[in-house]
Formats: sequence, C-alpha cells, structure tokens
Amino acid sequence: MPERRSFVNRLLGVGLAAALAVVTLSLVATGRLGLYINPDSTWFAASMAVVVLIGAVLTFVLPLGAEDDHGHDHGAGDAHDNAAGDTHDHGSSAPAAHRRHPLAVAATVGGGVAASVIVLAALVTPPASLSAELAMSRDIDAPPLFAGADAVTLAATGDTTEFGVGEWATVFATSTNPDAYDGDPVTLTGFATPGDGSFDLTRLVITHCVIDAQAASIPISAGEAAPDTGQWVRITGTVNATADGQLSVEADSVERIDEPGDPYEY
Amino acid sequence: MTRTEPPAVSARPKSGRGVAWLVIGAVVIGLLFAIDLLGPGIYPVELPTRAQDGLTLALSVLIESLPFIVLGVLLSIVVQVWVPPGVLERWMPRRAWARRAVLSLLGMVVPVCECGNVPFARGLLMRGFSVPETLTFLIAAPIVNPIVIITTHQAFGFDDGILIARLLGGYAIANLIGWLYSRHPDPDGLLTQRFRDTCDLQHAQGAAVGASGKWRRSVGQFVVELRAVLPALVIGSALAGAVQVLVPRDALLAIGSDPTLSIVAMILLAMVVSICSNVDAFFALSFASTFTPGSLVAFLLVGPLVDVKMLALMRTTFTTRVLVGLTVIVVLSAFAIGTAVNLLA
Repeated sequence: MPERRSFVNRLLGVGLAAALAVVTLSLVATGRLGLYINPDSTWFAASMAVVVLIGAVLTFVLPLGAEDDHGHDHGAGDAHDNAAGDTHDHGSSAPAAHRRHPLAVAATVGGGVAASVIVLAALVTPPASLSAELAMSRDIDAPPLFAGADAVTLAATGDTTEFGVGEWATVFATSTNPDAYDGDPVTLTGFATPGDGSFDLTRLVITHCVIDAQAASIPISAGEAAPDTGQWVRITGTVNATADGQLSVEADSVERIDEPGDPYEY
Repeated sequence: MTRTEPPAVSARPKSGRGVAWLVIGAVVIGLLFAIDLLGPGIYPVELPTRAQDGLTLALSVLIESLPFIVLGVLLSIVVQVWVPPGVLERWMPRRAWARRAVLSLLGMVVPVCECGNVPFARGLLMRGFSVPETLTFLIAAPIVNPIVIITTHQAFGFDDGILIARLLGGYAIANLIGWLYSRHPDPDGLLTQRFRDTCDLQHAQGAAVGASGKWRRSVGQFVVELRAVLPALVIGSALAGAVQVLVPRDALLAIGSDPTLSIVAMILLAMVVSICSNVDAFFALSFASTFTPGSLVAFLLVGPLVDVKMLALMRTTFTTRVLVGLTVIVVLSAFAIGTAVNLLA
C-alpha cells in the first residue's frame, strides 16, 4: 500500500516540520519566541518556518507516493538495474527483496510515535519558561562569563545603567577593585533563590537557546523576610562592598512581581 | 555508464486539481495554527515541573535547529537537483586524500551548522561523493566553519591555544576518520539500508528533464529529506532535554581540576548537552575558571561531532557500527588532544 506508507512518511516529515514551523510562527506573532531562543535570530527562524509552510502546501499537489516513483513497489525490476552501471551506485540488492529486522521496524514505529507525541505536546501546551528548581541545579558557583571582559571594562568606566543580573554577577565575581562599585544604584529583576545573604537574586542567561541557559545570581541583603524560592522580585538598591572585598546588593525595596514576559537575559 | 531514461512519472495533476490541493494544504496549515493558539485554552494541561522543563528544553533545541535543518534540506535539494552534473566535481582534486582535505574545508563556505550538515551530506552522497569523503565533510564542517571560529575567538581569544587546538584538532580528526573509512572494503555497507534505497531511487529517477520536472523532484526531495531527518531531530532533542533534567550537573563537575578526569567529565558533558557548535564556546567559557584548558578543548571537539542529537541525526544515514566507530575515534582523539593541551598550556 504505497499511498498509506507515503501518507505516514509525509506526516512524520513534512507534517512534523510544519507543526514546528507553526509553533515558531505563533511564538513570533505573540512575541514569545524569547522563551525558547535568543530573539536576535527571530528573522532567521521565522523566514525558514515560512519556507517550511510554503513547501508543505506545495507537497499537497504532489500525489501520494510520487516522491518515490519507481521505488520499492516495482520489485527488483528495471529501475535498479538501470542504475547498476553507474559509478556512484550504492550497490544494494533490490529494496523490494529486503526484509527489515522486526526490531528495526519496532524502533522505526516507536520513534515515529514518540516524535509525533512530542511535537503534539509542543502544539497543545502553552509556552513555558524553565523552573527555578532547574535554575538552581544549573548554578555551578562559577559565574557565566558571557559578557566576559566587556562587562568589567564597562563597569569600570561607570556605565552600569544597562546591567542585568548576568553582567553584575560577572562583575561581582571577577572585579579586582570592588570599591569602585560601592554605592552604584541598581534596579534588577529576577527570582529569589536561597543564598548567603538574605537571599540570592537569580536569572537565567541565554546565549542562543534555552538549552545553553546558565544561572547567574548575586547576593542580596534586605531588611525584610526573604521571598519564597522562585518568587519573581524587582530590587531597587545600591551595590555594597564589604571590608573583605565581597560585593552584594543592599536592597532598599523588594517588590514582588509576576514573572515577566521576557524571563531570560541574553 | 549508459542509463536508460525511466518511464515518465505519473501524469501531472490537472491544474484545477492542483489548485484544489493547494487550498486543502493551506486549510490544513490554518488548522495547525488554530490548534496551537486555541489548544492550551481547550485542554489546560499542567505538566509536572521536571517534565515541563524537559519539554521546554527539547522544544528550544527544536525551534533553534529547525531553520538550520531547513536550510540544509534546501541546499541538499540544490546540490541534487539544480547543480548540473560535473560542476562541483570539476573543482575537486583527483587524489582521494586531497579531495577529503578540500571537502573538510567545505564548511567554510556552506552556511549550515551541525544539524543542517546532515541533510546536506546526504545530498552529497546521493550526488555521488563517496562515503569516506562525505564523512570527512560531516565531521569537519561543524568545527572548521567561520561562525564557529568567530564565536570561539570571542569566547577565548588565543588563550591557552584553545582556538587553534579546536580548529586543527577538528580538521585532523575529520581527515583521520575519512582515511580510516576509505580503507573499508565495502564503503556502501556503512550506509543504512533505508538510505541506500533512497539513493537507488534517486539514481533511477536520473536527471529530471526540464524545469517542471526539476521542481517536481525538488518537492519530492523536500518530502524525502524531512521524513529522514525530522523524527531523528525530535527524538535527539527530546533526549538532550531529558538528560539535562535527569542527570545532575554537579555530579560531572566535581572533578574539574584533575587533568585526566576533567577531560573525561567534559567529554561526557559535551555528549549530553547537545549545544550547537556555534555557541558552545560561550558555554565552555563558564567552566574556564574551574576546568583545565585541555578539558575545554575536548568539550569543544566532541560536542559538535557526536552528541546525542547528532548521533540520532546521523543514524538516519549511517549504520550503528559506523556511529560506534566514529564515537570511539572522536572521543579518543579529543582525549589525546586535550591531554596534549594540558601538558603544553
């Protein structure tokens, strides 16, 4: 039944690709692509998704089975013999005569079903951000050095207004001259995790997509009780250098907020 | 070398029917949009935190790599259907090792990252490039590639020879693998049966005549390539996401400063996290304070070549034995290069 096989093949190839393209474009349209990948590559993701959808619509014109005309169902006949003299023939026996191992068949079927279920889940579940638990398990006590020397140089010149948790975490960890930042005003957004001071302000920093997310955190000292772990907060305060050269943020206000639309820093 | 033309492909649909099918296609796509936008409202599902995190991670890899896969498929179609026979081949040296040396630099001009390389490499194979040649390209391109060079340089500069070791190491491993597999008595036996069937089919179809035939073949190839690569990509991404939420990272990181164990740990980490070679340098950078330079080089060599996502993708084309062989060679080479860097740096 070549038509039925062709239908399944299209579902698992073009179908899955189209579903993912739809997910991508919906995220772009609702401004939530940043939940998964760095918005810098929005144009590339969106244009390729459009290509997939155009291609997917075009495949409807191609009759089922036309993509493998002269394929398996012609038996060991003409087509394969024709190719036999070719220099780059991969010299197999006729495919129709080939019987696949039951385990291989099971793996193919299982893989197809699993892949479909995952894509279906992507389609019907709402977009989500990573949990605070995962962020904490990612926190390896080494600062994310994405901004690297840049942040420290910038900080030294005094321009820290655009700094997020990621940049400050880098500065806190690498600064050789902590006193230079003493008294810098900061307004930072992140979620609370347990820490040495009152609590740590944590944010996930992404380079390319969520899988490379790394936790950046800075110690906060606040007069009031620490927020629950995972609670999003906006901190207003100043950088404070202790006598032993440790930096932390002295919070004037800790405002509990809902998770922002852009939960990550890039 | 003669090849009789295959019988004409089945009659083209009449244009009226073609338009009807286009409309049906557009409606189906519209339905997908409706499901995506309305689905969460109709069936509000609350997944457990870990499962949700795993899905989020898997989906982020999928969304991020899909454009590159599509680009790879498009280039693969161009190479198979639109570039006339002989054009690419004319530029290639005749000696086998020189051909492999040139092919391993092809990544410098073909703008697809590691995921897109797989469909593109399939296109090369179908065009008639040999299995060892294609393997050489597939292994070299994710590392010897302008974007990777730029990002690795941004992350590390020339510190500790990490950039140089990565580039030369990637190039050397690729050519080593190409050379080893060129000695294989039956190179076609390295390919999966399914891929060989697809190849035979392509050759049977031969060079399509006329532009409309080429368009038709292009759409057919779009179907075939996506079918081959996408389920593997989805499963590879899901594995990458699952492993990330299930394997505690600190278990791997407790051993950072030991010259030998750190290399082993970073190789394991690289195989597990499946980060694109474009950006893995930044990821590695955050380990620079605790891990040896050699272990970072090993991470940067292994990750682009044999992580779980790439293995799932390559399984579409190469047999399991080949993948085991590749993994062993890459891991051992990376270990050797990493150790050398640790001794020299």
